Amino acid sequence: MPALKILTTLSRLCAILAGLLLTGITLMTCYSLIGRNTTGATISGDFELTGVATGAAIALFMPLCQLKRGNIIVDFFTAKVSERINAQLDRFGALMMSATFVLLSWRTSLGGLSAYETQSGTMMVGFPEWIVYATMVPPFMLTAVIALAQAIRSEADAQGASA
Amino acid sequence: MSAITLALSIFGIMLVLMAIRIPIAVAMFGAGTAGYLMQTGWAAYSSFLNTQAFARFASYDLSVIPLFILMGHFATQGGISKSLFQFAASVMGRFKGGLAMAAVLASAAFGAICGSSVATAATITGVALPEMKRHGYSGRLSTGTLAAGGTLGILIPPSVPLVIYAILAEQNIAKLFAAAMVPGIIAMCGYMIAIAIYVRVVPGQAPEVDANREKMSFNDMMGIVPIAVIFMIVFGGIYGGYFTPTEGAGVGAASTFVAALLKREITWPKFKECFYATAESSAMIFMIFVGADVMNSSLALTQVPNQLATVVGSWGLSPLMVVTAILLFYVVLGAVMDELSMILLTIPIFFPMIMGLDFGMPKESVAIWFGIMVLMTVGFGMLAPPVGLNVYVVNTMAKDVPISESYKGVMPFLISDTIRTTLLLFFPGISLWLIQYVA
Repeated sequence: MPALKILTTLSRLCAILAGLLLTGITLMTCYSLIGRNTTGATISGDFELTGVATGAAIALFMPLCQLKRGNIIVDFFTAKVSERINAQLDRFGALMMSATFVLLSWRTSLGGLSAYETQSGTMMVGFPEWIVYATMVPPFMLTAVIALAQAIRSEADAQGASA
Repeated sequence: MSAITLALSIFGIMLVLMAIRIPIAVAMFGAGTAGYLMQTGWAAYSSFLNTQAFARFASYDLSVIPLFILMGHFATQGGISKSLFQFAASVMGRFKGGLAMAAVLASAAFGAICGSSVATAATITGVALPEMKRHGYSGRLSTGTLAAGGTLGILIPPSVPLVIYAILAEQNIAKLFAAAMVPGIIAMCGYMIAIAIYVRVVPGQAPEVDANREKMSFNDMMGIVPIAVIFMIVFGGIYGGYFTPTEGAGVGAASTFVAALLKREITWPKFKECFYATAESSAMIFMIFVGADVMNSSLALTQVPNQLATVVGSWGLSPLMVVTAILLFYVVLGAVMDELSMILLTIPIFFPMIMGLDFGMPKESVAIWFGIMVLMTVGFGMLAPPVGLNVYVVNTMAKDVPISESYKGVMPFLISDTIRTTLLLFFPGISLWLIQYVA
């Protein structure tokens, strides 16, 4: 199924991008620390940059987590229920997840627009916050699509795609 | 509708959604949304939501979580665990049940650079289980030991649940890590004692000591070096005042990556695996953050959590009794729920309650001690049936061992956990004494 393959590729790309962002943060931290404890030269606003880069990274991590059904569930109460019903419940769960991410995409877009209009930036270096909002929305939308696909398609197919 | 009824209904909706396999984060998000809308209507709720994801994700304080997770996965993929276990095996080889004790020692050491119990359990199981099997250890003892050893990943700092507690309770992460150190080492020793007793009381679980075993070689000794160096850099830096815990996590991730490079273990596919694994755990945790935020804001609007603290305070119960009751509640809740959701959901309610009681200690000490108690109880939930996440993870990797055997295997460790938790409950000084040296 090509559509699911595309979703898999996209969410992996997001995760790799986010991983590289995090790795970038670790390198920046080391550079900044060596500077601070030796020559006294620091990267100004390194705390803020760590914060905003993590924000983007976390959002970019979302699609892969949903694709692998990494969001934790309580399976204790339905352990004795038939597999068919459990699969139905999981599809309902995926539908609710999709709705949640539709809502988050929509509201985060509006939050980003308002950050753009007010030109709000971080405290020290004034890094524009709307850029972070703008990076968060596409992976949120992708997550909503993945969850919707999982809600529509049967469990066996969805698992095949995540392998 | 009265405030209490409303709060209970919100809670009830959440529990029902959770019970029917809705992801925990979404169950909290959904129930919280319903409660929020009933109280304030759409306008206030939607403007809350506009900035919520940004505020939670792009926060410097929270960035310590994905960085510690990344560090743990670099360590997992970096081939550090194999030589670590060889080192532990050569140290513990002289005792009966030595390989099981070595697994505990290796888990504790690995826990010193990894903040997740599941990752620790999976990593050490990967290297220790085949060895234990080869030497004739029973499936029951091996899987039980490895599942219990995994909890040392969170008991010994760094610890993701402890970071989350620190953030919710607005406490100093570095002090909480210091407070966890001694209880973590007690946990490790307690597990080793449990093994020593178990292999003597129950026959046929472990082989006799091999008289012809090799002496510890220089190569074995080197196994501990990478982890020791990384641990010294991270915690030396944090406690020496050179950097913040978030920076410590960043430096730790970078140095673990370098250690993996030096071992020539890390390749581009493994590098990608690190990112994928970090993605899954981080996204899962932050999604629970989002859900718990909506849920907790909605509960806070009802004013019930505040009133609850006052009401419980006015009952005049002994403070220790309240803490014990909360911990027992965690044991029950931990039987069905994961540790992070539990902490995120309950700390905003329980923490003000605890801080309103008089333990005859400074407020900060109470907050730190309570954090350690919560951590201990949460570790218990990872092992205890019916749903012990660690037991499940280890058992999946040991294909020939039935899950019932693994649950029998964790029993000695659960007894050890109970003794330790009781000890820490009655003697807060055990957790608190190290803090004075690092502050």
